[in-house]
Amino acid sequence: MELICLGLNHKTAPVEVRECFAVGNTKLGASSSELIAMTGVSESVVISTCNRTEFYLVGPDARLAFDRLEAHLADTIKVHHIAKPHFYRMEKSAAARHLCRVVCGLDSMMLGETEIFGQVKHAYQAALEAGSTATVLNKLFQRAFGVGKKVRTETTIQTGSTSVGNVAVDLAEKIFGHLKDSQVMILGAGEMSRITAQSLVSRGARSIFVSNRSYDRAVELANDMGGQAVRFDDWQSVLERVDIVISSTGSPHAIIRRADVEKARRARKFRPLFFIDIAVPRDIDPAVGEIEEVYLYDIDTLEQLAQEARSRRQQQIDDCERIIDAELAKLNLPGT
Amino acid sequence: MDRWFLIFSTLFAVIAGVWGMISVHRGSRSPWTVSWMVAVLVCQLGFLSLRGQQRAACPLADFGEILVFLSWSLTLFYLLVGPAYRISLLGVFTAPVVMVFQAVALLPGILDSQPAKIVGGNPWHETHAATSVLGYGALALAAVAGVMFLVLDRQLKEQHLKSGLFRNLPPVRELLVSLERLLWLGGGLLTIGITAGFIMPHEGAALGHLLAAVSVWSAYALLLGVKSVRGLTGRRLSLLTVALFILSLGVFAFI
Repeated sequence: MELICLGLNHKTAPVEVRECFAVGNTKLGASSSELIAMTGVSESVVISTCNRTEFYLVGPDARLAFDRLEAHLADTIKVHHIAKPHFYRMEKSAAARHLCRVVCGLDSMMLGETEIFGQVKHAYQAALEAGSTATVLNKLFQRAFGVGKKVRTETTIQTGSTSVGNVAVDLAEKIFGHLKDSQVMILGAGEMSRITAQSLVSRGARSIFVSNRSYDRAVELANDMGGQAVRFDDWQSVLERVDIVISSTGSPHAIIRRADVEKARRARKFRPLFFIDIAVPRDIDPAVGEIEEVYLYDIDTLEQLAQEARSRRQQQIDDCERIIDAELAKLNLPGT
Repeated sequence: MDRWFLIFSTLFAVIAGVWGMISVHRGSRSPWTVSWMVAVLVCQLGFLSLRGQQRAACPLADFGEILVFLSWSLTLFYLLVGPAYRISLLGVFTAPVVMVFQAVALLPGILDSQPAKIVGGNPWHETHAATSVLGYGALALAAVAGVMFLVLDRQLKEQHLKSGLFRNLPPVRELLVSLERLLWLGGGLLTIGITAGFIMPHEGAALGHLLAAVSVWSAYALLLGVKSVRGLTGRRLSLLTVALFILSLGVFAFI
């Protein structure tokens, strides 16, 4: 029995190619079953995420399995011949190693991301329930999940936020804990504000106020976020209520000055206030950060923190590869 | 035998503190802090139980016993508050305070080596002593939470966010909420203690002690009043909590 992997990902194929091969979450099991119906294939697992689609097959002959799979893809997906150069092919130990790298997030767009672990687990579970796995893939996937857990506990590849939005959210959680009780105000309805606010909402922030010079855009973003639009002249009155302010206007000068915050302090009973200034030029006067209960972070600081996390993750790659090699050496898997 | 309980309790506090700090320095939280602090509490109970039998009363008759009772109260409140609010790091900060109090109690001459039986004890006196020291335990833990807030606040302000300590400190809001609750709890217990102190029979010599206790109570009441009505920044609340606790220890000088 020989193990093979055929796949494409964000490094080898653009999104317009990847989307042609994407398999919906609910169809992963059926897709795996279709593959074992082919002669020369005894086991299969199909993994499909927004950044990759991969087919793990086991058969008596690797070359035959590749041919059957490609023929199947050519039959079912019309653009397969155009997409062929975007596919990578791996066999035996290289395929096993690749799976472990995928599970550990080493092959992800965002190095060390953890979501892929769950996605692969879901794909394996679907194949298992569809009866398309047996000894080889069961052993391989179980070991890959073990490797993923070991990498998570023994290295720091998955720690630290690597994007400005996530760094801001981590800081917000360090200040306020669970964000479900936190109110957020967005000044400026630009893309960066939207992304950062979405990160906050994804971690539980509920009350969102959006203020923008163009009220229509504020309403639009507020509707998208399930929040409330505020006229730009009124943002100071909202400052009394909120815990987090994200500012990203296109203003050439500071919008939030120390005096504005000083005015709101008493009404806020001096509760902590977190300012995230992602505008260039900056929207928030640096003097605001001198106020006792205020924590002010600008785009440079957030980007620097994200960069440091990315560098720390890069430094961990060798350690992760060593763990993968050591664990696979112990596996002694037929087909690899 | 009672001293051995105290020695072991102090050693466990040292282990909890040192082990916890090493873990934090390495970037993780020690899962054993709570266990070590439970060991500290058990040994404190052993000590207080033996002293209680020797005194035939609540063991608060000398300065050493007061310090141990205070440490017990501090440990007890940590075990009630820390794990419940997932502030296990509170144990790493609490352990050194317990260690210092108990180390002082172990110094020669601080604990009566032959504790005399207390005759003619008064229940109001015991209520006064026990609830007051319990209250001080809660206030001590509030001060510990205040120190933790000050450390975190400084790191956030100066944007020093890489240390293991920063990663493991609980969020600002949770620290401030815990601190305030502990202040209310400590203040409440102190109120009962002082009320009992006024009811119990006392001599003229106790006047200084009662006046000092009332001053401490008033200061905490003022702090809580200002915090509730006007509001206070986390930094001021923490600084005042730490300062008030240190100053309030002066009450014991009048015993």
